[in-house]
Amino acid sequence: MDDLFIAAERDKPEVDFKFSQHHLRLSGESFPENAMAFYGPLVAALMDYLGQTKDTNITVDIELRYFNSSSTKILLNVFRMFDQASTSGNTVILNWRCDPEDDTIAEFGNDIANDFITLKYNAVATV
Amino acid sequence: MNIEIFRGYRQFVTEQGVLFYYDGYLSQPIITAMSETLRGKLEIEDRANRATRKVFSAFIEMMQNIVHYADGRWVGDNSAAPAPYGNVAVGRKNDRYYIVSGNTVATSHVERLQSKLEAIRAMTVEEIKAEYKRKLRTDEQDENSKGAGLGFLTVARDTSAPIEFLFEPITGTGNALSFFYLKATV
Repeated sequence: MDDLFIAAERDKPEVDFKFSQHHLRLSGESFPENAMAFYGPLVAALMDYLGQTKDTNITVDIELRYFNSSSTKILLNVFRMFDQASTSGNTVILNWRCDPEDDTIAEFGNDIANDFITLKYNAVATV
Repeated sequence: MNIEIFRGYRQFVTEQGVLFYYDGYLSQPIITAMSETLRGKLEIEDRANRATRKVFSAFIEMMQNIVHYADGRWVGDNSAAPAPYGNVAVGRKNDRYYIVSGNTVATSHVERLQSKLEAIRAMTVEEIKAEYKRKLRTDEQDENSKGAGLGFLTVARDTSAPIEFLFEPITGTGNALSFFYLKATV
């Protein structure tokens, strides 16, 4: 499966899905006008990837500085997909990188860790 | 506007602690450009602390709400504008930030919006957080919503005082359009 890279825009994150290395990263800002339109193809690629991946360590790095409500809703569904992928013998490591001063993003990370207990969740403080 | 009036206007803006004011068409590129200006100003104010992040978040949700939901596209002179139109002021007064926005909505939506906003106003901070989490995790979709339907709740989550609002019929529209003001305090 081909790796997927999309350069960041002012209102859209950088997408760096190195499927070949089982290392997926999202970073930057996320407040596109239509979150479904932006994330739809990414979700489809992830479903493809997760559907054909077994007994693998998958590392997911999330370093988003800001995401709006519609992005939040989609991200939650993405983490649910990773959680479900864990039942195929995969181990998903989620590195949640945020400024600890940012309570909204830190709290959302905690919620994900509590909701999806199969994810190996690491809160990583950025400066 | 003559210089004297402009002088008074400037003075008023300074007294109200306005950091940013915009009146005009709204679109995603405009929101994105405004967000950069606003973030720059907020960072000068207050090196990216908790409050400024919440101001930024409330601002984006309020502006995207207008782009998603504004009706009528009223520009104030009976002509229909080609794009959503709105206005917004962000400022700091008495150690609190405020974001006030205004836009046109169809009067037929006022009752529904009003009850939605009243319900949020009646909630405690804990109830707002719980409702936000619940809505985030359900697939229920408001048939009138084009976004995630979480805009007002997100604004309420980011504020330190209940959200305030006002609806006002726009004269000359045959009661078809109303003006909707929304205020968030962080």
